[in-house]
Amino acid sequence: MTDDELDQRVRESILAEPIDTSRVAATVRGQIRQRRRIPRWRFVAIAASIALGFFLWPRSAPALCVAAAQDHEREIVRSDPRRWLTDQPSIDSLAQKQGVPASAITALGTTGYHLERARLCFLKKQIFLHLVYTKDGSQYSVYLRPLTEEASFSRSVRGSESLAYFQTRRVTAVFVSQTADARAFARAGARVL
Amino acid sequence: MPHLAALLRVARRLTLDFSSAEDLVQETMLLAWRGFHGFQTGTNARAWLFRILFNAFHGAGRKARRDFLPSQESVRPMLQEAVEIAEALDALSLEQRTVLLLAVVEGFTCQEVSGILDLPVGTVMSRLSRARQELRKSLAPPIKEVKADVKAKEAYR
Repeated sequence: MTDDELDQRVRESILAEPIDTSRVAATVRGQIRQRRRIPRWRFVAIAASIALGFFLWPRSAPALCVAAAQDHEREIVRSDPRRWLTDQPSIDSLAQKQGVPASAITALGTTGYHLERARLCFLKKQIFLHLVYTKDGSQYSVYLRPLTEEASFSRSVRGSESLAYFQTRRVTAVFVSQTADARAFARAGARVL
Repeated sequence: MPHLAALLRVARRLTLDFSSAEDLVQETMLLAWRGFHGFQTGTNARAWLFRILFNAFHGAGRKARRDFLPSQESVRPMLQEAVEIAEALDALSLEQRTVLLLAVVEGFTCQEVSGILDLPVGTVMSRLSRARQELRKSLAPPIKEVKADVKAKEAYR
């Protein structure tokens, strides 16, 4: 028996076995649906966190911070499937196309937080570079956009523990985390950006 | 869900058990869903899924292989003529069976199998060759029976 004959015999035999995928498919779909559903306590926690942020800020928080919190919830907490860039050269190239200097990303990397992935996203009809950093098992979203000339900037970090915001001469930056102190990362970021 | 049948087919032959195979494929699909951002566009999605499956299988083996031990409801093909091949396949070592399933049944190239199993191409090729040899031995009729057949034919003449 030649290799080809043997292979064909094995292939035909195994492929002839009936395969019922319905049970696995139903279970997987069910589990994905369940994981996508946000528990009520988490909704309450998010609302309280944003409300606290509003309360603590001297002026009302920029609408884009609320959009950033919602985006973080969808893309990081709920892990909705998205295409991300994970290699540094591609991320740098994407950043430069959006006018965010690659040096800003490098600078953020010196603060002790590890860059994991990046993609572009829309917050309040503006394109932001969404960077995901990790530290001690917690995930942080950093939304960066080059600052327009007419905008005034304020390097002081404002916001709450889970949502912080600042502007430098170069960028607008929003930091979000649900399980860790985003403000601490924002403070470190404000020093280097 | 794409490639589910292929994953289940290979998982059944890996675990030699229906329910363990279903558990393994469920875990694979959930890991793939959670790690979808790690998938690079333009690369082979099927090979990526199989890589996750084997990582899950070996991961489960490290934690508690008992999850994937055969139950009483063991895998048996429906067609009688396939029983012989299925038994010969199941009798192969896990390493040989894995390579044979991926290369021969699922049609992956040796290069792709090497990527899925994280093995050198040479190792894949030698395991495949040994697996074919073993299968040939198992599928060849026993020498005594062949001799008996010849004698019977001669007596008939």
